[in-house]
Amino acid sequence: MNKILLIARRDYIQTVTSKGYLIALVLLPLIFGGSILGTRLASRGNSTSSQRIGIIDHSGVLAQRVIQAAEQSNESPKYTFDDLKPESDEAGQVLSVSNRIREGELLAVLDIPADVLQASDAAERDRVVYYTNSTGRAQLGSWLTTIVNSSLVGLRLEQAGLERARIPELVRNVPVVPMNLAKRDPATGKIARGDASNPLQSAVVPTFLVILMVIVVMVGSAPHIGAVAEDKTQRVFEMLLSSASPFELMMGKVLAALGACLTTSILYIAVGLMALMGMSLFGLAPLHLLPWFFVYLIADVLMLSAMGVALGSACASAQDAQQLAFLMFMPGIIPMLMLARISQQPNGGFATAMSFVPPFTPVLMLMRQAMPGGVPWWQPWVGLVGVAASVFAVVWAAGRIFRIGILATGKTPKLAELGEWVLRG
Amino acid sequence: MRMIANIFYPDSGAIRVFGHAPSGSRSGEVGYLPEERGVYRKMRVRPLLEFYGELRGGRSVSSEVNTWLERVGLSNWAEEKVETLSKGMSQKIQFIAAVIPQPKLLILDEPFSGLDPVSADTIRNAILDMRKAGCTIILSTHDMGVAESFCDSIFMIFRGKKVLDGTMASIQANYASDTIRVEVEGGLSVMDGLPGIDRINDRGQVQELRMGKGCDPQQVLHTLASRGRIFSFAVVKPSLHDIFIRIAGPQAEEKRHE
Repeated sequence: MNKILLIARRDYIQTVTSKGYLIALVLLPLIFGGSILGTRLASRGNSTSSQRIGIIDHSGVLAQRVIQAAEQSNESPKYTFDDLKPESDEAGQVLSVSNRIREGELLAVLDIPADVLQASDAAERDRVVYYTNSTGRAQLGSWLTTIVNSSLVGLRLEQAGLERARIPELVRNVPVVPMNLAKRDPATGKIARGDASNPLQSAVVPTFLVILMVIVVMVGSAPHIGAVAEDKTQRVFEMLLSSASPFELMMGKVLAALGACLTTSILYIAVGLMALMGMSLFGLAPLHLLPWFFVYLIADVLMLSAMGVALGSACASAQDAQQLAFLMFMPGIIPMLMLARISQQPNGGFATAMSFVPPFTPVLMLMRQAMPGGVPWWQPWVGLVGVAASVFAVVWAAGRIFRIGILATGKTPKLAELGEWVLRG
Repeated sequence: MRMIANIFYPDSGAIRVFGHAPSGSRSGEVGYLPEERGVYRKMRVRPLLEFYGELRGGRSVSSEVNTWLERVGLSNWAEEKVETLSKGMSQKIQFIAAVIPQPKLLILDEPFSGLDPVSADTIRNAILDMRKAGCTIILSTHDMGVAESFCDSIFMIFRGKKVLDGTMASIQANYASDTIRVEVEGGLSVMDGLPGIDRINDRGQVQELRMGKGCDPQQVLHTLASRGRIFSFAVVKPSLHDIFIRIAGPQAEEKRHE
């Protein structure tokens, strides 16, 4: 067997049968899935502490409308209203209901002014306020705004002479649905209108793909610094070097990392696809992007693991390797910080430019490709050329560092010295 | 030695092993046991040896692994992890890794360091068997006794320069029989003022006396006999250890400065 493949096979088996790998394989989805589940449970926990909302209606006409609208609402969890009669001491009543909220008796209290029905330019006068200490205030506020305003509009229309029974039909909202772009079928020439875009498909799927890639690459590549440094301190390499060249040794380790990353991602993707199939959502699976996912994954792993092996070989101890490990996370973390901005304008100038920066291309280009509308067909190919050139350059430089570092003794070199090793060989 | 094993590359000049420059494709011809011991500690013994053997020889070495494990008495440890082995066992494992598949040239750097006498004997016998089978062995050691008793040809380097090169007999031929090896009752304490003796090397139970010009061994024998019982007395060529001291010791250093 080819020496590179032989070394790769040994390192691969060692990696995927190690306890650390198996634990990470199980824990990562649990951590991410658990965090999402935890957030939902926490949010539900907040809303279930109390579902009662007090309502102080100084106008005397709106409270029953709001209570009726709330009963007809499909909002979950279901809120119930307590109609609190307004007191002459307004400030004292506000303090009293605030204390009831603090004690958990009420979730919130809605305070409707007396002149709420009068048309007025003065925003202050007809303002409806609510008091709460719930952490889910934004969601509650949005719901209250809808309920109060629909009740108010109904009341105003009724006062304007419209028949009460017709009002719900007249004020009914029409859903505004985002659609995918239309395209012409090259075979038949017919124009096919796009389907309604699914928020899962437009936001969750691209984010999932990108996060999956970053996690798999970082988990698969970053430990190489420490592992190679440990092998170096345990004097493993000298005997190996009598049988294989430094380049063969390095490439064997890089290919082993690639194998481990591919194993991890194939497992996760297979489980993800089965889960979608189980939920009858298989249509959401971005199957057309999987080839690009794997191409970028391979490029990213080659680049980062070559860098990791080279840096590890230069380290004099495992502690030094840990200090340098942050370099391995940069190509994953920096594009993750840009994701929010890029998801708003995936084909804007900033997003396009950054997705052509080779270390960020795998993450950012994939994110842009996965979003509705995609990218011009040539962009992934141009990005891939840049990434391929970078992979070649990084592997070449890593090979030069590795062959010196692996037998070097003494203190860990500084980055400038590593640069010298690359230039002088 | 690392250049012969293709680990270091020469700054200048060229190295030929069996007529060829050292290269990875010919690594099966050369076995190398480094002084700094290190193998993958998390691996099990058999897969480890198969990996090293296949990496060096480019073919499966399973049968050789079994043979060698049996030979060094580690068959029962074949499925254990290397980290569970004692130091002596680990060294035997690393020795096997250096000799499978059968090399034409075997480079051993301090192969006996840290070994207990039984393990050292096992390795010594294995080396001698390989020599009989036609394998050329380069053995690097600081133990002059090992070199003297073991090597057909000795090459000594001092401060980066060759100072000795030849068989033990040819090296000793350059030195007269100027050494008395003696074992007496009282040891070093009865050696004071021996006539004609320039220097005494105390080796514990045995002392080596270097004779000066005009020294008569018979007179030394008589003097020692008058001081106590003599168990052995021999006029010999200097040992390799003594020769090394003469070349690299403090007196030689003083002479070089004069």
